[in-house]
Amino acid sequence: MENKAVINKIIPFSNVDGPGNRVAIFFQGCNINCVYCHNHETIKKCIHCLACIPGCPTGAIKEVDGKVVFDEKLCSECDQCIKTCQYSSSPRTKEYSVEELVEYIDGFKVFVRGITVSGGEPTLHADFITELFKRVKTLGLTRFVDTNGFFEKELITALIEETDKFMVDIKAVDQLEKLCGTTMKHNLENLKYLLEKDKVYEVRTVVTKDYMDVENTLHTVASILKAYPEVIYKLIRVHATGLRVEQKEKLQNSIPSEEYVRQMAEQVKEIGVQKVEMIL
Amino acid sequence: MRSKLSDILDIATSKSMTYQQKLFSLANAAERLVDPQEVLGYTDEEMTYIENEMICDLNEGYALYRPRYIVPDYYVLLEKGCDFLELKPPTDLDELLDSLLILYRHVPSITSFPVYIGDLDKLMEPFITDEQKDYIKIKRFLNHVDKSIPDSFCHADIGPEKTKAGELILKAIIELENPTPNMTIRYDKDITPRDFALKAAEACLRVSKPSFSNDKKYCKDVGEHRLVSCYNALPHGGGAYTLPRLRLGTIVKGVTSLDELLNERLPKVTKAMATMIDKRIRFLVEESNFFQTSFLVKEGYLKRENFSAMFGMVGLANAVNYVLKLEGLNETYGTSKRGDEIGHAIMKVIEDIANSHEGVYCERTNDRYLLHAQVGATNSEEDVCNNPAHRIIVGEEPILPLHIKQAAPFHEYFKSGTGDLFALDQTYLHKLDAVLDIIDGAFASGARYITTYLHNTDLIRVTGYLVKKSEAAKVARGEAVLRDTDIFGQGANERAHVFERRLRKDGE
Repeated sequence: MENKAVINKIIPFSNVDGPGNRVAIFFQGCNINCVYCHNHETIKKCIHCLACIPGCPTGAIKEVDGKVVFDEKLCSECDQCIKTCQYSSSPRTKEYSVEELVEYIDGFKVFVRGITVSGGEPTLHADFITELFKRVKTLGLTRFVDTNGFFEKELITALIEETDKFMVDIKAVDQLEKLCGTTMKHNLENLKYLLEKDKVYEVRTVVTKDYMDVENTLHTVASILKAYPEVIYKLIRVHATGLRVEQKEKLQNSIPSEEYVRQMAEQVKEIGVQKVEMIL
Repeated sequence: MRSKLSDILDIATSKSMTYQQKLFSLANAAERLVDPQEVLGYTDEEMTYIENEMICDLNEGYALYRPRYIVPDYYVLLEKGCDFLELKPPTDLDELLDSLLILYRHVPSITSFPVYIGDLDKLMEPFITDEQKDYIKIKRFLNHVDKSIPDSFCHADIGPEKTKAGELILKAIIELENPTPNMTIRYDKDITPRDFALKAAEACLRVSKPSFSNDKKYCKDVGEHRLVSCYNALPHGGGAYTLPRLRLGTIVKGVTSLDELLNERLPKVTKAMATMIDKRIRFLVEESNFFQTSFLVKEGYLKRENFSAMFGMVGLANAVNYVLKLEGLNETYGTSKRGDEIGHAIMKVIEDIANSHEGVYCERTNDRYLLHAQVGATNSEEDVCNNPAHRIIVGEEPILPLHIKQAAPFHEYFKSGTGDLFALDQTYLHKLDAVLDIIDGAFASGARYITTYLHNTDLIRVTGYLVKKSEAAKVARGEAVLRDTDIFGQGANERAHVFERRLRKDGE
């Protein structure tokens, strides 16, 4: 197991990563690369190319022995470094041991009902998170995983057992290479597996035209979810705010109208999904 | 502070006050014309602290003729009616609401308006028979209160139990969007059902009320109490005689070390405030004849034995920042570990003096005056350097979780009330569970009182009371407005930029 994991960011109070107020921990590293990714800087680990250093206006990023070193206290959160980075990474990541994360979470436990690990793709750190979850359980908190569904379930059985609920982002069921730059296809199979084990809190799909067959994806997921009335299906209209220039160019004609997403939500309900939410 | 004869003409000819505001201001100026050394026996030292503004008496005046805050036991109305006003015990909702409105006209306070108008939910609950019809009556009643008691220090309580009337009240305040009455839900997660608490949390986001008070903690510290005026926790069937406040941001000026502040200046000023309170209470109880003449006392709505006094303070942030600078630290109160240490050291001195001073006519609170984190006011230039209570200066707040963790330990000192305010963003409206988790966490950390509101609403909480931003803008343009609190609100915003309080987006 990794002794330490690279964490991109921790949000001590999050109201969008599962039920109630939660500590959300974003792990560095992803196994796919989506056209609309809003957290591009979480995809890869820093290669210490040092390109971000000159652009930092507050001197929060420095070179020490050929490596990028970040001083949180000086950072003004202008995000210039992650705009500069050509490797989909960030100099602002930090390594944590399980012990250090537990200590951090413990400081906020009275305000939250649980933690959610996200990313990147958190299942890439399955062993580390399994240990973390065992410890967090003793704090009386629930443990959620926010995943894209692309994992080898045989390799993460311990994590699945230890996790209270998953939130599964089904990117699409077709054209995955175009949308996510991956040849993996087992996200739906994994979703079914987790559903059968009663391990799913919510399924999400970001609705994007051109890069996916929206109807095929939503109808397929809905047909599966209709047997699980307690599981939420959340449809999110893709938006380009805050994306990189090249992403904006790719997406400029692919953002669906609010009305279209509403129509899709209606169809999903007609198929039999009980809890449908929209973010327009 | 004493008034001058010229104040009378200034008030009489003001362009920005209504008739009623002029009337009350003239009465207040008269109370401050008399000499406190003659009437109350203030010493030269005590006078010095008023004149150099280290102690502010909130313009309460020196010929006290009613307690500052009055918390009547309105259940007496249900049981016995009111002989003085010739009211019989109400037999239905119409009679109850009518009798309450009549009674409110006769409940004095420092503002001349009632600062507490009852456990509205529990008073109404026995008379709720038809939800739809009763809702219309309740809404009309609440609107009547807003327009006839033009002062947002007027406060109603609900909870901790869930009632049908309580739910109708929550629905009505969201529809009305009125500043008055201010409102608190006495919240205890072991008593208040989750669904009722969630409805209250939603109302709090949409119209900045009800605020949440930590009922378990206040019951332990104050016993049978109610939340009145801004967020004052005072004995039910009694209240508070008086509330002077230490201006810590002023007291600190000129000291050369923390040691000098803690061991010399602060104890002197704090002790002087305690003896001033003694003298004020003596006059009120022994000479004013309030307790001998008021029908509220005669008929059991109030008992002299249920009164205490409040030991107020403001400007902790300014005092701490001053000392941090003396110590050569480039840090500010709210995000400085050393700053918190200094803050607690200051509060400890005040607490020790208040707790060792034998108060007068305060048997209800073990002969002690209760510490109060005063929300601030604009009474003088000095208030510019005295931030409300122990609050962090707007613009210097840390992220929400750290803000609550910083604030909660300071709540401990203030048995007669304190509170913190957090502006949340729109996403919390869809995640009321998360709002309640935050409140539960704050209370588990020892916080006494929390208000949240949405950043983009017109109705916002200034420091402890509600104003409409649009009304405050009128004051800034010199126009007359209905509520005195709109005028205070405009002052508070000029002083402390409270309308720009840090917005808490998810995760911030």
